[in-house]
Amino acid sequence: MFSKLQFGLMAGVLALSVGAGVAFAAMSADDAIKARKACMKMGHGGVMKAAVPVMKGEAKFDPAALKAAFDAEDAVCKDWSMWWGADTQKGDKEETHALPAIWTDPKGFEAAAGKWYAADQNMRKATDEASFKAAFPAVGDGCKGCHEKFRAPLQ
Amino acid sequence: MRRKLQILVALALLGFGAFWAVTTPTPVMPEMPPVRTANLENGKLLFNVGGCISCHKAGEGLTDVAAGLPAGGKPLKTPIGTLYPPNLTPDPETGLGSWKFYEFEAAMQQGLHRDGSNLIPAFPYGSYRSMKPEDVADLFAYLQSLPSVKNQVPPHDVFGLKIMRRGLKFWKARALANPVWQPDASKSESWNRGAYLVNGPGHCQECHTPRDLFMMSDASRAFMGGPHPEGKGTVPSLLRLVERKRYKDQADLVSAFQNGESFGYEHMSSGGMGEVQTNLSKLPEADLNAISEYLLSLK
Repeated sequence: MFSKLQFGLMAGVLALSVGAGVAFAAMSADDAIKARKACMKMGHGGVMKAAVPVMKGEAKFDPAALKAAFDAEDAVCKDWSMWWGADTQKGDKEETHALPAIWTDPKGFEAAAGKWYAADQNMRKATDEASFKAAFPAVGDGCKGCHEKFRAPLQ
Repeated sequence: MRRKLQILVALALLGFGAFWAVTTPTPVMPEMPPVRTANLENGKLLFNVGGCISCHKAGEGLTDVAAGLPAGGKPLKTPIGTLYPPNLTPDPETGLGSWKFYEFEAAMQQGLHRDGSNLIPAFPYGSYRSMKPEDVADLFAYLQSLPSVKNQVPPHDVFGLKIMRRGLKFWKARALANPVWQPDASKSESWNRGAYLVNGPGHCQECHTPRDLFMMSDASRAFMGGPHPEGKGTVPSLLRLVERKRYKDQADLVSAFQNGESFGYEHMSSGGMGEVQTNLSKLPEADLNAISEYLLSLK
C-alpha cells in the first residue's frame, strides 16, 4: 500500500502537527507576556538604541549597525501575532500593561500595529542619513499610536 | 412605629431642604471686562498649554475643518458616567458665541456655568483658578476668533446629574479653598514661568497628583503620581526625573516634549500623555525650557 517513504512522511507530518499543537497549547499567558516583553525591550528597544542617536545627531548613520538591530528585532518578534490570545490578558505571575482595548477593539489594534509595520518597512529601505532621518519619525509615531490606545501608562 | 416613621420622614425632608438651601447656585455677577487689546497669539499658546482640544474635540460625524476645532461632543468616559464636553467655537446657539467674557471667566476660575450651576471638575477649573486674568481674556479672544461650528453636543450621561451639580458646592468649598499658585521671588523668571504653566493652564497636577477620598487633589503628595483617573495603569511621578534616569537633563526633557515617541521617548505616550505631548510640542522652545526647568527642580 504505502511505500516506506510515504509512511515516513505521513508519520513525520503527524508528529510535527501534534508537536506544534502541544507547543501552541503550552504557550501559557505568562509565556506570551514574556515573549511580548522581550520583543518590546530587546527587539524594538534595540532598534531605538541604534536609531535615536542618529536622529539627535549624536551618532552617524551606520547601515550595518542598523541592519543588526533590525535582524535582532525580527528574530525576537517574528511570532508576534501568536501572542495575543484571549487568555493572555493577564498573566499568572507576569505583569502586563496591555489594555483590554486590545481584545475589545481587535481591528483598531491591528490597524495601529499595521501602521507601525508599514512605517518600519519603509524606514528599512533608507540608504543614507537623510532618507533615514525622513523615514524614522513615522516609526516612532507608529509606536505612539499603539501605546496611546492599547498600553496602560508606565510607572 | 408609625410615629418613628413620621419623624424619620420629617427629618429626611428637613435634611433635603437644608441641602437644597445650602446648594442653591450663586448667580454669576457681571464685572467690567478688562480694557486691553487681546493677544490672539498668546491665546493660542494657552489653548495648546491647556490642551483644550484633547477633551473638546469634535465628535464623530464632524469632518474637514470642524474635526480640528474644539467643536465638542467627543464622548469622555469617566467613573461617574460619559461626559460630552461642550462646543468652544463661537457658534451663537451651540457654542460660546453668545458668552460674555465674565461668564467665561466664572467658568474657568470658579467652575460656574453662566446659568449658575456648578461645573463638573473633569473641567479642571481648580488649576485654571491660578491663571492670570489677562491670559483667560486672551484665551477667550482666541476661541472667539476660531471658525464657528454648529454642533449641539448631547447632554452628559451621568446618573443624578442635577443633584450632583448641587452637591458639588460642598466639594468646591473644600477643593477650591487652597491658595492659588503664587510666583516665588527667590527663583528665576523662567522657573516661575514654568511653574505657572504647569500649575495653572497646563493643569498637570490634575493627573500627576493623587486624589484623596473626596476626589480632591492631595497637596501633600503633589506630583507623586498615582492611579490613572480613567482606569487602568499608574500615572508616573514627576519627582526626581533626572535622578531616576528618566531624562538626562533639561535639554533632553525639552526634546522629549518636542518629539515624543517619534524620537523614542516612550514615557511620553500612554494614558493620554501622547496627546498632551502633541499639544505641548506646539509651544515655543523658551516655554518648554521653562516647564522643564521647573519640573526638574521637583524633588
